[in-house]
Amino acid sequence: MNFKEIAKRSETGPLTEAKDFLMKSVAANAMRLSKEYDITWDGKTLINLDDDMADRCFQAGRELFINTGVYSMNSSRVVKFSTSEVDDALRFTRSQVAMGQGKDQVCIHHRQVEDARKPFIFCGPFNANVHEDMFVKLNEAFSQEKIVDCLFFPGYLNEVDGQLIRPTSALASRAAILYGQWAREAVRRGGRPGMAIAGHAVMAPGEIACTNEATGLRSTDPRAMVLISELQVDDVTLTRTAYYLAYGCPIYMAFTPLIGGYGGGVPGSSVVAVASFIASIMLGGEIVHMGPQHMKYKQQTNLHSLFLASLANQAVARNSNIIATTSHTTSGRPGSAQYAYEFSALALTAVTSGSNVSGPRPAEPLGNNNVSPLMGKLFAEVAHAAAGMSRDKATPIVEALYAKYKDNLDLETAPKGQPFEELYDLETLTPTLEHQALYDQVKEELVNLGIPLL
Amino acid sequence: MADAERIYEMMKKSIETYDSDAAVAAAELAIAEGLDLLTAVEKGFANPIRELGEAFDRMEVFLPELTLGADAMKAGVAVLEKALNAKGGKLKSKGTVIVGTVEGDIHDIGKSVVATLLQANGYQVHDLGVDIPAPRIIEAAESHNADVIALSALLSTTMLYQRDVIELLKNKGLRDKYFILVGGAPVTQAWADEIGADGFAHDAFEAVLLLDSVKEGWGK
Repeated sequence: MNFKEIAKRSETGPLTEAKDFLMKSVAANAMRLSKEYDITWDGKTLINLDDDMADRCFQAGRELFINTGVYSMNSSRVVKFSTSEVDDALRFTRSQVAMGQGKDQVCIHHRQVEDARKPFIFCGPFNANVHEDMFVKLNEAFSQEKIVDCLFFPGYLNEVDGQLIRPTSALASRAAILYGQWAREAVRRGGRPGMAIAGHAVMAPGEIACTNEATGLRSTDPRAMVLISELQVDDVTLTRTAYYLAYGCPIYMAFTPLIGGYGGGVPGSSVVAVASFIASIMLGGEIVHMGPQHMKYKQQTNLHSLFLASLANQAVARNSNIIATTSHTTSGRPGSAQYAYEFSALALTAVTSGSNVSGPRPAEPLGNNNVSPLMGKLFAEVAHAAAGMSRDKATPIVEALYAKYKDNLDLETAPKGQPFEELYDLETLTPTLEHQALYDQVKEELVNLGIPLL
Repeated sequence: MADAERIYEMMKKSIETYDSDAAVAAAELAIAEGLDLLTAVEKGFANPIRELGEAFDRMEVFLPELTLGADAMKAGVAVLEKALNAKGGKLKSKGTVIVGTVEGDIHDIGKSVVATLLQANGYQVHDLGVDIPAPRIIEAAESHNADVIALSALLSTTMLYQRDVIELLKNKGLRDKYFILVGGAPVTQAWADEIGADGFAHDAFEAVLLLDSVKEGWGK
């Protein structure tokens, strides 16, 4: 659908209070449809193996979206779509998108359940806070990992020139310009000048400020928009969408179905997730990122999130051409084995269910630079190893991994990990011996569990 | 007494079935029967909504149920409060809390759950909504004679405005009047300490426990 129609409907759609939209439209319909379509979860299964339920979940999500539309938070209006508009959009969704330039150009594809094709790897700081002094080095270290296809969200600069940044200030625009320049400089230093950089500078002026074909983010870089839970959009996101559609950037649309939120439990939230996938493409998204977030755990590798990630991804993979990717946020932090157990469990679940992958990142980074490029590499290796794996084969491995961390999901007590500057030699940009040893040890454990990491 | 217990049970049932109309009917019956209205609030509505809040914390019920249960409670308590005020009485409150998501941030869910659970636990809550500039938050705290200002921020970029509220309070010489509670996904105890907040909570339930523990005896 043409964006001008979206912009128009966000000003002319039915005027509704937010609470009514969320309670009477989203919550009530999600509850009704999950029952009508018999979407169930036994509270134990980690990966869905029921193809028919995946198909029913897609139909329920499609019907939910046709009922609800998207809520425009600033205008308090509902952007509604007809059945034929939704079905047309699903029919004509692109199943592959190119990004990056020159020899560094890469292509992301729609994947099928148990697809043999390797998933696309979005990997980087994933919006963790990154200090200005460490920004280039840290991102260079990520770009050095050739298995990473796209540098993912090079990090929040919450401070520049030693000054904390107010989001819509002049300093925020300066920070956004530096964000684009430093991210580009990082991939140049990493020997991949045309590498795609998925950018997310949050505020609309900042997003525009960091765009520069020579020295910043380019038209060939995917740019992120984020829907608000559930099925809501604000003017900032619509403004950015308008700009990036006109500029020609691939649109990376993200959403987080909130398990325990307005979708209710896992069945209703799975239906909301499918509706959000569809909402994302209706609003211009070409790559759709799902973060299977749990309201209580505040991360994405818990039991509920694993199952939702499997069911919703399978629903979309089997019934559409949508290019899906799943985000990975964990309780454990870089520098701990638990971090790797968690992202491996979700990566196996998501990839065998037809998704590409984005991440990993601790759900609650401690301080600045709480990320590890080496663990990013392991994450990508696990995701590649899951290509072509059956869900039957993945299930016992995910169960074994989940058993290793299930009692330590609390963000307060989960391993604190270490920041990048303690995990890497900053002169050579190589992992410390200790960090390399952790990688080797965990990798061996993962191989012994049955993940074919070569 | 038997009638009173029956009416409390009706009130409880209205929360459990998320039925605002039933809550209003039970409240009107309590007034007609001449029950002690403060006891009716506590036994009929406050206890069941606290239980619902605990069930939500355990994820046995979800946000829609919590919201509907809270709506039922508010509808019933509003009827009782009106009658109480007419007799010159007043609802008991542990304290007055201003709740809002800071400027530049439109995330509502976490903040609304905090507001709901605080209300369920006996606080008088004024929920200002989202994207609220610091001067408006302070203006509301002053006009409602609040005890607590609870500030939510879901983005790393908007956390800064939690600091600005505290700084503006200091500039106005009002800092010591309020207990400042901060929360939201990127917010940590370290950030709370850095900006000089009085408390930090990971979630709504923790916010209630924290306020209960530090300000027992609040109430005006």
